[in-house]
Amino acid sequence: MAEKRFLMGNEAIARAGAESGVGIVTGYPGTPISEIPQSYLEYPWIHVEWSSNEKVALEVALGASLCNVRSMPVMKHNGTNVTTDFLMHLNFTGVVGGLVLVSGDDPGGLSSQNEEDTRILVHDYAELPVFDPSNVAEVKDMIKDAYSLSEKTKLCFVVRPVIRICHSRAIVECEEVVKPRPAEFKDDRARFIMSAVEVPGYGGIKRPQLRHRWLNEKQNEIRKIMEESRYNSVEPGEGSIGLVGCGIGYAYIKEALQYVDKRYPVLKLCTLPLPESRVVSFVKNLDTIVVFEELAPVVERKLKEIFFDRGIGIKVLGRSGFLPSDGELSPEVVLEAIKKLDPTAKAEELGAPELGFQVPGRMRTQCIGCGYRPMLHALKLVSQKHKGIVTGDIGCHDAGSYPPMELQSTIYCMGSSIPMATGMAFAGVNRPVFSVIGDSTFYHNGIIGLINAVYHRAKVIALMCDNGTTAMTGFQPHAGSGVNIRGESVPTVDVLAICKALDVPVRVVDPYDIKAVKNALEEAIKDEGVSLVVSRRPCLLLSSRQGVELLEPSPVEVNTDKCTGCKICINTFGCPAISVIEGKASINQSACVRCGVCVDVCPVGAIEGEGYKRAGG
Amino acid sequence: MKHDILIAGVGGQGTIFASRILSSYAMAIGLNVLSTDTVGAAQRGGSVTSHVRISDGEIYSPLIPRNRADVMLGFESIEMLRHRKLASKDTVYILNMHKVPTTFTMMGIDKYPSDDEIIEAARRISEKGYVIRATETAERLGIVQSANVLMIGALTKVDPFFSRDKVRKQVEAIAPKFAAENLKAFDAGYELIS
Repeated sequence: MAEKRFLMGNEAIARAGAESGVGIVTGYPGTPISEIPQSYLEYPWIHVEWSSNEKVALEVALGASLCNVRSMPVMKHNGTNVTTDFLMHLNFTGVVGGLVLVSGDDPGGLSSQNEEDTRILVHDYAELPVFDPSNVAEVKDMIKDAYSLSEKTKLCFVVRPVIRICHSRAIVECEEVVKPRPAEFKDDRARFIMSAVEVPGYGGIKRPQLRHRWLNEKQNEIRKIMEESRYNSVEPGEGSIGLVGCGIGYAYIKEALQYVDKRYPVLKLCTLPLPESRVVSFVKNLDTIVVFEELAPVVERKLKEIFFDRGIGIKVLGRSGFLPSDGELSPEVVLEAIKKLDPTAKAEELGAPELGFQVPGRMRTQCIGCGYRPMLHALKLVSQKHKGIVTGDIGCHDAGSYPPMELQSTIYCMGSSIPMATGMAFAGVNRPVFSVIGDSTFYHNGIIGLINAVYHRAKVIALMCDNGTTAMTGFQPHAGSGVNIRGESVPTVDVLAICKALDVPVRVVDPYDIKAVKNALEEAIKDEGVSLVVSRRPCLLLSSRQGVELLEPSPVEVNTDKCTGCKICINTFGCPAISVIEGKASINQSACVRCGVCVDVCPVGAIEGEGYKRAGG
Repeated sequence: MKHDILIAGVGGQGTIFASRILSSYAMAIGLNVLSTDTVGAAQRGGSVTSHVRISDGEIYSPLIPRNRADVMLGFESIEMLRHRKLASKDTVYILNMHKVPTTFTMMGIDKYPSDDEIIEAARRISEKGYVIRATETAERLGIVQSANVLMIGALTKVDPFFSRDKVRKQVEAIAPKFAAENLKAFDAGYELIS
């Protein structure tokens, strides 16, 4: 029984998985894909988990697949990078039960540390087939097709939605959900033992080469499938210029063409490998084509290869220079390209007025009342005093690297804070080196960097920010939370217990207690080797949503006679509830959550109140 | 027909809920909708937008193209102005005069524009605009969390595309738990524009 629903792209992906009989869903949170595993919770028979990291997620998913159960590992582009080692074996062995890897890309880096095109990793490098959806309804169809094709070809399929697909809401058709098959494992050591053993009957070659040969032969099979795929199509038009749209690029072409007085031929290409004969017949009467794709010139280069091999002379333009080589596409990018190529094309243009001033930029920051702000403030004071260096990591605390705090000097990828601090210490920088890392990042792979630092007695002070959740991406639980994604009680893998087991100094502090954090850090500086300061308080925002009081309300007021207008509370501490009115600090009482912490921030005692009070004494 | 609505605000102001009301209304009257919201880390105090695109035909781009917005709702004083390129002289806007300072304006690095500058800038975008004090009004009514719904109530007054009664029904249906506060805000918004 088909039914229409208004679903977010991420919800449509989960729905498609449920309709395909998926039994196992794994993943690690990150924009743009965080909502996918959560959307599976309405199907109680599906095992859904937030895995420790993306490599683990892919490994768990393949384990299920080898038992003939369909699985879906979900991750963002950086996470797919984390899987690389396993991915480069999984491609050689293939799968049993359908395995569809969902890798969400964030062109423009709207909510990421970098921007990249995962198609290069999963297709050019791992040689896996890819679907690149152009809209929400299509991603749902693609997931379902990908499961049957994955089982037909024995290959892991990848669906690569970009952020605009993940976060769009559209009306889609829903069908019946299907229960997973029962698990059944059959040994197949010739496939599942990836090792350099000689395989009898093949003239002495070893298994890796033989499996590589298998994957190469698979390429012909998937080329044939993509040649017939409904996700590639041609829309005829006039003239010698053709537009090629891949994934969301196709949607932007269709949008833009509504505002142009010409009908260009359009080729929609949403699969990798490409449908070569369709491509060749499309360009028969064309002399130029422009490829619109997110983000790298992946399809553009493949088209050039196809035309070169067949001796077809045609100009292929796209992301390699004609269009911007970085950032997101948009209908405007398409319109600009058309204007540049075809001076006879007319597009209605209205312009935008000048405002007379620059609209100030807005950055994200910690929530008002977040424990990370006083904790980072304390670290800043200690670090400044000792001319320290602070390496940062991914999580809400990373906003401490922006103005006004400007504390962390580095932010790279998940878990890099402690190893980078280790490198700085061994480089002989002769300054205290601190690193800041959150609990979810610690389980993700921060723990490995910490073990390395302990092993080598690196002179590093690590501030572990344990707030019990993955706050930045929307409060997903992790191994230390004591609950799983379904909210069920599970064993807690305690950060503190792990830290204590490493036999290095560990000091536990309340992040709201600026003095205590400072003291702990001052003492840690004197320690030999690695020293850990574990800051423990639950996320305030999550707690308030759960109805748990963390703070005893402690109102504050500014004594304007005492306030010297030094602005430390703004330029160093940076609580959004404090502003300057007529040269004096002022508390925005409707925004203030009465954590009382700023009482300890003001050097002249002008912010008056009882200060921070922990709820329950 | 098509009707494109941009909602601009600051994380936490309820732009996503407002966009859901408009989308549900469009579906209830049998139209096609494609919407997209800012979600993720940017929600923590950053600039957020929702694009709601309504049509009786196919809708391709989840983002409203330049100059195509029929309606713009500014939940914060300067956030709507940030997206002026989406507007045309025919755009109808409602601007909530509610200032949320930025880090840089607090530090004195940027200047937060004055009310007069903001109103003048909005007037340059389109003549068909309304400046209201939605947050202030909601605060006075003791329902500051519903300022977003107040903006939607105001919208139904100025934009004949939205039927007051049918949008009101959606407000009630989407969040029955908060129906009392939200309907109070909705009606206050409707009354706020004469």
